[in-house]
Amino acid sequence: MSDTTNPMKPYLGKLTAVKDLATEIKLFRVELLNGGRDAFASFQPGQFAFVSAFGFGEAPFGIANTCQRGPCVDFAVNRLGSVTTGLHELGEGDIVGVRGPLGNCFPMDAFKGRNLVVLGGGIGGAPLRPVIQTVLDNRADYGRLTILWAARTPSLLVFTDEYDEWRAAPDTSLHLTVDQADEKWDHNVGLITQLLEKVAPASENAVTITCGPPIMIYYVTRMLEKMDFAAKNNYVTLEARMHCGLGKCGRCNLGTKLICVDGPVFNMAQVGELMETFL
Amino acid sequence: MNFITQAQLTEWLDGIAHQQTLIAPYKMADILLYQPVQSSLMIAWDSIRPVMSAKEFFFPPSERLLLIEKGAAGIKLTETLPKGRQVIFGARPCDAHGIKVLDALFLDKPPVDLYYASRRANTTIIGLACKEMGSSCFCTSVGGAPDDASNMDVMLYPAEGGYAVEAVTEKGRSLIPDSLYTIDNRQRPAFNFISNIVNPQSINWPAHFDDEYWARTSERCLSCRACAYVCPTCRCFSVRDEFLPVEADGCNPGCAQYERIRGWDSCEGENYRRTAGGHRPRAEKSQRLRNRYFCKFYFYPEQYGLGNASACTGCGRCVDICPVNVDITEVITDLAR
Repeated sequence: MSDTTNPMKPYLGKLTAVKDLATEIKLFRVELLNGGRDAFASFQPGQFAFVSAFGFGEAPFGIANTCQRGPCVDFAVNRLGSVTTGLHELGEGDIVGVRGPLGNCFPMDAFKGRNLVVLGGGIGGAPLRPVIQTVLDNRADYGRLTILWAARTPSLLVFTDEYDEWRAAPDTSLHLTVDQADEKWDHNVGLITQLLEKVAPASENAVTITCGPPIMIYYVTRMLEKMDFAAKNNYVTLEARMHCGLGKCGRCNLGTKLICVDGPVFNMAQVGELMETFL
Repeated sequence: MNFITQAQLTEWLDGIAHQQTLIAPYKMADILLYQPVQSSLMIAWDSIRPVMSAKEFFFPPSERLLLIEKGAAGIKLTETLPKGRQVIFGARPCDAHGIKVLDALFLDKPPVDLYYASRRANTTIIGLACKEMGSSCFCTSVGGAPDDASNMDVMLYPAEGGYAVEAVTEKGRSLIPDSLYTIDNRQRPAFNFISNIVNPQSINWPAHFDDEYWARTSERCLSCRACAYVCPTCRCFSVRDEFLPVEADGCNPGCAQYERIRGWDSCEGENYRRTAGGHRPRAEKSQRLRNRYFCKFYFYPEQYGLGNASACTGCGRCVDICPVNVDITEVITDLAR
């Protein structure tokens, strides 16, 4: 952004689709208007943006699709507070504000030729979806893709209508688990760490990417290190309820790092020692 | 030395007050604050530093970022960048030091914050050296001095019969009419008192992160955030939308107006640091108090390139305001032991 643009002023965007992803979680597809189209011309997997429900405020959300599958930008929003409630009241054709893209991204080029283990917990799967999409759209560039996908209950699993596409891709496997099953559930039951032990992906030539609640990230990354994945190969994407996303508001510090501008993507060699302060 | 008498100074300030907003130390119900004044008669001349710092004139306690209009024609956003020119008279070296620290965040680390930048550009600072040291002052421990002119536009040093005047910047020089001062061969008076608090940058802060000390020290903390609000360098903020009554800004029927507001906040507040799911990584008071001190002496200097300087100006305002005597100089002294 140049000095003359106001980084606190959102672009306007039109909702082209709003659909239920899971209980209280909706997918919002935003078509950026005027200046926003240029700003979002080349966003990268792992980046985030602020979405405004005008009159309610704005909050940061991980971008849930790749630019290549754009040009619209997808956000998965769990209805929890006032901004997310305001967003959930909107429908197709309504106008939202979008500020970004912000933060760093997953080094998808550096991941080429390597095996990927993707671990998503609940709505933490949203910023991992562009990673999966990048691998599926450039399948020959990447090695084996192992997806471990978890939620508290089956009704909280996100992107369920895309599982067939993921499973059908070559050299790709999807493993599901929930903390609490219902009568129709025929996959794993238990924590994602238990699933990880069971699937036991090989650490050789592999990188892992984890997103979920802090407690999940903490235990998953600890287990990965026990399974011989080097800290520098374990990537995480972190979040905080930021109010600027620009390195100013002081809400997202992790030691001397700022999640908004130094992250949200880190590897565990960078933040491993700081994870206890994230809990 | 360029010299200005008290009478010349009041004449000069009254001239300024006619043309732009003049902000000066003013006693309001016995509390000394920087306030807009209409005349030099309102200025509290013989005072130590005011209770609040001058930060609010660059980064206000609450400001409108955007006007949001929702109507049949869609949504319209209007930026509201501050425009008025202002002069701050009587800023203390600790205030100017604080502005330098805030510049590092709002101006030097991209992207530039346009609201802060606009106020900074529209403000001229006339500093005043401190004749005496407040009971909680320790600016000399953090690289400051009672007569430090850095980050001022004009600096005044109290002397017999008036003030020695130094134009520090071009902006400052252009504010002083040549006719206003006389040049004589006196030297400007010296101001040399020294605080006995150690330099906090000599402490190995990371080594104290896990100390039990924080739990003990924070026991009496009320999380009231007064320390952050009086601090010249605390800059935590929140942004929210607020509804504007229709009458407020001449809105058409069927249109709703909101303003997006940025206001002071503090890492001492228990909900300040949260993740989206509601989890609070600094749920304990000890973690929050520790964060404030680490921010001043370790995190902020690293994040915003202050080098070996701290983000504390040694003004001691937080010491004076704390209702339960949590004392930053005591923390520094304890950890340096």
